[in-house]
Amino acid sequence: MAPFRLLELLILGAVLAGFAGLLLRRNLFLKVMSMDVIGSAVVALFVLVGARSGLRSPILSAAGPGPAGTGTAVASATDAAAATAWADPIPQAVILTAIVIGLSIQALLLVVITRLSRIDPGLDLASFDTGGQR
Amino acid sequence: MPSFMPLLSAKGMVIAWLLLPFLAAFLAAVLPPLARWLALLCCLATAAVAVAIQLGSLPVNVDLLGAYGVALKTDAFAVPFLLLNALVCSAVVIDSWERPLPGPFLLLLMVLHGGLSSAFVVMDLVSLYVTLEVVGISAFLLILISRSDRSLWVALRYLLIGNTVMTLFLIGAALVYLERGSFRFEAVAGTTSIAALALLLVGLLMKSGLFLSGLWLPVTHAEAPAEVSALLSGVVVTAGIAPLLRLSCGVPALGPVITGIGLASAVLGLVFALADADAKRLLAWSTLSQMGLVALSPVAGGFYALSHGTAKAVLFLVARRFPGRALQGWRERPLPAGVWWPLCIGSLSIVGLPPLAGFAAKTDLSGALSLPLEVAVTLVSMGTVAVYARFWGAPLLHRTAPVVGLSSGGEAPEPAWSLGVILLVLALVVMGSATLPSTASPFSAVAKSAMVLLGGWGLHTLVEGLRLPERLRLPDLEGLSDLLGGIGVVGAGLLLILNR
Repeated sequence: MAPFRLLELLILGAVLAGFAGLLLRRNLFLKVMSMDVIGSAVVALFVLVGARSGLRSPILSAAGPGPAGTGTAVASATDAAAATAWADPIPQAVILTAIVIGLSIQALLLVVITRLSRIDPGLDLASFDTGGQR
Repeated sequence: MPSFMPLLSAKGMVIAWLLLPFLAAFLAAVLPPLARWLALLCCLATAAVAVAIQLGSLPVNVDLLGAYGVALKTDAFAVPFLLLNALVCSAVVIDSWERPLPGPFLLLLMVLHGGLSSAFVVMDLVSLYVTLEVVGISAFLLILISRSDRSLWVALRYLLIGNTVMTLFLIGAALVYLERGSFRFEAVAGTTSIAALALLLVGLLMKSGLFLSGLWLPVTHAEAPAEVSALLSGVVVTAGIAPLLRLSCGVPALGPVITGIGLASAVLGLVFALADADAKRLLAWSTLSQMGLVALSPVAGGFYALSHGTAKAVLFLVARRFPGRALQGWRERPLPAGVWWPLCIGSLSIVGLPPLAGFAAKTDLSGALSLPLEVAVTLVSMGTVAVYARFWGAPLLHRTAPVVGLSSGGEAPEPAWSLGVILLVLALVVMGSATLPSTASPFSAVAKSAMVLLGGWGLHTLVEGLRLPERLRLPDLEGLSDLLGGIGVVGAGLLLILNR
């Protein structure tokens, strides 16, 4: 289970790095990029969660029995070993939606940033952020 | 099987109802003249579904595609939220019926409506993530509708923070799946991972505008156009609080934490609302405070959110026609009758005057709480009276001629009364009087409400006396760095508290 823990820690590191960038960078564009770093780390986490039971893609093919096939159990010993190493398709299916949503939000934010760059081409936080004042 | 067919058709109806706003939005893009009617149709459908659930003619659990599929729960808990969604959205559509609307306003409103309806009935973390992001994106585009430079920044801030916390929410969902093998809310109840619970809460607290995670709310709600503010403060915040209450029912460890955060949020919002000098920001701070009260009780929270959201939508819709946003010198500026009466009724409902809906909601809430909490809520209610007392006392403008509002510069004069506002005010009165007879001890509740009003008025005069040399200057916590730091602080705090 050690490689799993190691990869998990790497992902945690990426999330923290992204959050630190979001907090510390003064440039709006870099802030949005930092947000994307967190997003990518989450995608990696879901792929990792999906791969914890195995790496083989669970695709049902006409030639061989798929993950749901009951024929695997009575097949040869190597097949039975392989049958246990299917990747979990649920997290992968779920993260597809999140990738699309992340992409569209990224695009929307970049459009707004393009418009904001007319006010301050340097995109420095201080030129926009006035806190509670109007 | 005789019972199979009706069940199937009921399931089909639920799916059709959830799909309708999105199809209608698409149709409205193709056929713009129909947009208003389509938006109204969506609201009517939601109201009809809410009534059908209340009457018990819909199945409580709707499972789509088996064990790993989407689970919906159309139960009594969702009814007040669905009604609120239908009421506020239809009022906004009717209110803007005569005015030309900027391009995609109605289309976005329909998408927002659909996202909200789904958020109130979903029962798994991933569907919740998707619906909250749909709500977030459409709210972002609605804020942008005025196209001012200021709204660009406010909208960017809203989506940046919203997406960051929802990404953290997804990490929580992944941790729950890792342990329990499911994304359902029931799986959250069985999880032992403190980190997962903390991350899920960080996401939901930000969406519901509670405590430090909700500090984004005043600027966003105050800078958006009036119709959008009404939507944001009325229903969009409940998209976070409804799943939060559902989770706090199912996960015993979360109950005390959410109660604590709710109370802290109520006090925080109250203090800032008392100190603020801007009418729309005062309303937004009060939303933060009232959402804290909603979070106190999963049982009474739904109706409280309904009564507060309806009243707050009234206040924001008439805020468009305020003679100015500064509260300084409010009593010298006369208001037209179409603003004066809704302003009074809306604010009196929030402070809990019988027989308006807010009174029933406050009585329900007190009944559902333990004694120390009940005392705390009574004190917060007094503070709320002091907040809204600043709106009272403006003279009524005795002129029947229509008054030209602030935003509608040289255009055709607006009608003195807005039908959308009337609809909401009527809803407040009807809901309040319909639930009045069911109050356990009406006399003591009314006496308590009168006491709260008097105490609040006293507090108001006290605060007004203190206000003179701007002594009530509070720290400005609304910069982007403060908001992001607030997320970090709330997350770390939750980890510590849940770890005990």
